[in-house]
Amino acid sequence: MPPQQAVAALPARASSNLRLGLLVPAVAAVVALALLPVFTSGYVVYVANVLLVYVVLSLGLNLVIGEAGQFSLSHAAFYGIGIYAAALGNKLLGLPLVGCLLLAGVVAALLGGVIGTIALRMRDIYLALTTFAFGEAMQWLFLNWEPVTGGPNGLRIPPSSLFGVEILNDKQAYPVVLGVALLMLGATVVISRSRLGRAFRAVRESDVAAMAMGIPVRRVKIMAFLLSAFYAGVAGGLFATFSTYIHPESLGFQTTMTVLTMVVVGGLGSTGGALLGAVVFGLISELLRQAPAVQEMTYGLILILFMMFVPRGLAPAVSRWVRGRGHV
Amino acid sequence: MGMRSVRAALLGGVLAMAGGLTALAQEVGVTPDRVRIGMFAPLSGPSAAYGQDVLNAARMWFDKINREGGIHGRQIEAVVEDDRCNANDLVAAVKKLVEQSNVFALNGGSCSAAVVAASDYVVRNRVPLVMLNASGDGALFPPNDYIYGAFSISQHAAGGSAVEFAARHFNARRIAYVNHDDAYGAWNLNAAKFQAERRGAGLNVQSISPNITDVTAPMVRLRAANPEVLVIMTYARPAALIIRKAMELGYRGPIVVAVNATADLRQMVANGGGPEAFRNVYIQEVLADLPGSARLQWVYDMYRQAYPQLASQEGRPQVYMPYGLPSAMSVTRALEAAGPELTREKFLAALQGLDFDSGVMAGPIRFGPRNRAAQQAAIYIKYDGATMERVPGSFASDWRFE
Amino acid sequence: MDSEVLFLFLQQGIASGIVSGSVYALLALAIVMIFKTSEVPNFAQGEVFMVAAYAALFLIVFYGLPMWVVIPAALLFTVAGMMLFEAGILRRVKKALGEPVNLVIATLGLSFLLRGLVRQTGLGDTPRSFPSLVSTDPVQIGQAMLTRLDLAIVGTAVAVMAAVFLLFNFTRAGRAMRALGMNPKAAALVGIDIRRTHAFVWGLSGLVSAISALLIAPKILMTPEMGHVAILAFAAAIVGGFNSLPGAVLGGFIIGIAENLVGLFVSASAIVVTPFLAIMAVLVLRPQGLLGGRPQMRKV
Repeated sequence: MPPQQAVAALPARASSNLRLGLLVPAVAAVVALALLPVFTSGYVVYVANVLLVYVVLSLGLNLVIGEAGQFSLSHAAFYGIGIYAAALGNKLLGLPLVGCLLLAGVVAALLGGVIGTIALRMRDIYLALTTFAFGEAMQWLFLNWEPVTGGPNGLRIPPSSLFGVEILNDKQAYPVVLGVALLMLGATVVISRSRLGRAFRAVRESDVAAMAMGIPVRRVKIMAFLLSAFYAGVAGGLFATFSTYIHPESLGFQTTMTVLTMVVVGGLGSTGGALLGAVVFGLISELLRQAPAVQEMTYGLILILFMMFVPRGLAPAVSRWVRGRGHV
Repeated sequence: MGMRSVRAALLGGVLAMAGGLTALAQEVGVTPDRVRIGMFAPLSGPSAAYGQDVLNAARMWFDKINREGGIHGRQIEAVVEDDRCNANDLVAAVKKLVEQSNVFALNGGSCSAAVVAASDYVVRNRVPLVMLNASGDGALFPPNDYIYGAFSISQHAAGGSAVEFAARHFNARRIAYVNHDDAYGAWNLNAAKFQAERRGAGLNVQSISPNITDVTAPMVRLRAANPEVLVIMTYARPAALIIRKAMELGYRGPIVVAVNATADLRQMVANGGGPEAFRNVYIQEVLADLPGSARLQWVYDMYRQAYPQLASQEGRPQVYMPYGLPSAMSVTRALEAAGPELTREKFLAALQGLDFDSGVMAGPIRFGPRNRAAQQAAIYIKYDGATMERVPGSFASDWRFE
Repeated sequence: MDSEVLFLFLQQGIASGIVSGSVYALLALAIVMIFKTSEVPNFAQGEVFMVAAYAALFLIVFYGLPMWVVIPAALLFTVAGMMLFEAGILRRVKKALGEPVNLVIATLGLSFLLRGLVRQTGLGDTPRSFPSLVSTDPVQIGQAMLTRLDLAIVGTAVAVMAAVFLLFNFTRAGRAMRALGMNPKAAALVGIDIRRTHAFVWGLSGLVSAISALLIAPKILMTPEMGHVAILAFAAAIVGGFNSLPGAVLGGFIIGIAENLVGLFVSASAIVVTPFLAIMAVLVLRPQGLLGGRPQMRKV
């Protein structure tokens, strides 16, 4: 085999070994996750629920930014729309849990499609800033559309029901949240490997080249935007299953930046990265509550150090480490 | 040993164990010599100034009680969490305290909107929650069995009282009213409208963002309506901007500044444009006297003694510090009144019956069968930047939860 | 509303809008000059502005220094801090991967770091006032009420804008910065010291931010959250065209005036949403901003 080919073949073989090697721990992890409520406190399960919501948010943001290369900064707005849609679907229409989740995703996706159609005339920084402005405007709307969102009083979310059973605590909600999060994770993998996923990446690398390959660039971009909004909406619906209250304060730019940080720190463009970033950064944030005095500074330092020393994110670093260990 | 005696011994053992178990099945967070209280407040980030020293004040009260021998032989053990003043983190803190630290009761919350986020959880799990300095109207009305708060004053009481003062003391028929477009603002405006209607006064309202940097537009609009009294219900920074702008626009009528902004009066005068701007300013006060006055000196002495290192730092104690005391006093008094066989039920019943003078606040700390807001009284003081003159009488909000 | 009041509101709105707009314009300049040369929207812009004001306050409160020492010291401190950040941190981030999003997150990290630092000083708990060099006595222009301080703010801001304009158009350093913005590789080929120019731009941006901080701090009062104003500067930059310095200035005044007019004619609570509606309106109608050139294709 000529040396060049050998080099080219190596990563593929290594990754198929890697895939097998990862299957067992992955299954073990899912089983352990499923059993979490049995051997931990409700608080730990609450933290797990929140982390899973962040996972779904990160998967969605990674689709539009990481896969399709379109800088969208309005994730918190779609998340909020999902929360309000689910909460109101439950409160006013008496929809069961599954209905609420679907409603949350669909309403967010519809709006995402509309906003995408308008905003995607722009690119790069202009797209980022338009979507940022849209996000801020939505937060203002949440705060001022009192008849619907409760305005500054916030909105109480009644317990959702699944097959006639009311979900009253985090442990009851957890199987739903975990199940849906895994479903979304699976869907992400499928999308990423489908023709659509390839089209996303082609658009990310170059609009012109993608067009030359016969990819309907504009439709693909809007699709990425819409899908990402759907994920955010579902994440909002999940939040509404284990929460009792929502206030517009927590639906601002800061939430978008938190999710963006997760995606970048995890590894932009990689599904595993979005997963890892959400879990690791979510945990760091929760653990930092123990060190209030230096919290902000520590968080800032972590961001800077990551960008200096782990620029491609955790996922590539971890897989390099796993592969390296495999060789030894 | 015969079969029968073995069986009897076994049976006896089982019974003894069962007996032991019932003795052990005490209330959560309570042992014969300890009672565990879960505390939470913003200890980091932008709102830390609302929480850190308030929580410290509550803790120093618990420490004092502990040094004096505790309550019914029990020492108070405080477990502290940072709630970052936002809903998600506050709920995480509360769940950790309840489900992991197994506390008997909660004593925390400085941020009103965030504390409301935990209210359904607290009620569902039947855990007593005594707020720190949050007004938390959203969790107090309608009243439920588990949540007690508004130790400084409820926002409904603050807004209604300010309008009552404007309408009665100045006989005003046109009142300008500036509040925030957040939860606080929604609550105080609710009662203010009620009060204005009752007094037959017109209320010209401008609701501004807490982040506002330029108050020209809302102030010019209010000025155009030619008000007789200007009521400011905002936080400290916007309030100072408004006082200064009122002077710039040539408004010379009375200005009433609500308690939300009056914590640090010296700074307020410096920020608001100096004594010149304070010719006709009245401040709403809920403390028994002014911060640093002789009557409250013991509070500041106690703080200095409890936290000598902290007290030597710039900006300490933080201005809201005293509010932590009436809250902690309510906890210890209710523990006392609940008797030696402590249960949550008894503790809650005792809370409901509290009625005492804290020596810190303007009015008594008083709950009741339908009342969860501790402190309702506000006094008014004419303040020209240096001297203070108490306006006789008290001005109460007539708004009641229906 | 009768025509007299309408006319009064209009005058006041425009006059006050020009005052706050001039500060937004300065901050927008600071953002755009960095973006033009480094392609980084500096998310720590507001915190740089805030730290400059607190550095000055720190010297006044703890050392009792006079203003003629405090002001240059605070300006110098901000400039040095910005250059250090560029040379010590951003350059490494750029070398590590160089994706714009990584640079953005590094500036986001800086914003957290700076806010945490200021809180450590104990000055951040209550709103503080910054001593004003100019009196706040009212001045009437037409029917609009302003203060002497307001006039000083506009005057200084315009002077700084003019200085920046001259610097960019008529000096060697200015030409180097413009060349860097157009094409870094070509700039290096014609002998421009890229590193020095980058550091210079960040320093200059720090200087402009610090000047605007010291100008407006007496007017808006100080808290560690005062960097919030930078959002309005971002809005100004977008409205004007994100890669255009004159656009930033124009955008600043538009946002300032729009805020005031909305506050006067619509409602006070709609003030905060005005800049975002302005952004969306401008970008939908003219995606590159009012004075922005066509956005370039930068995919290589």
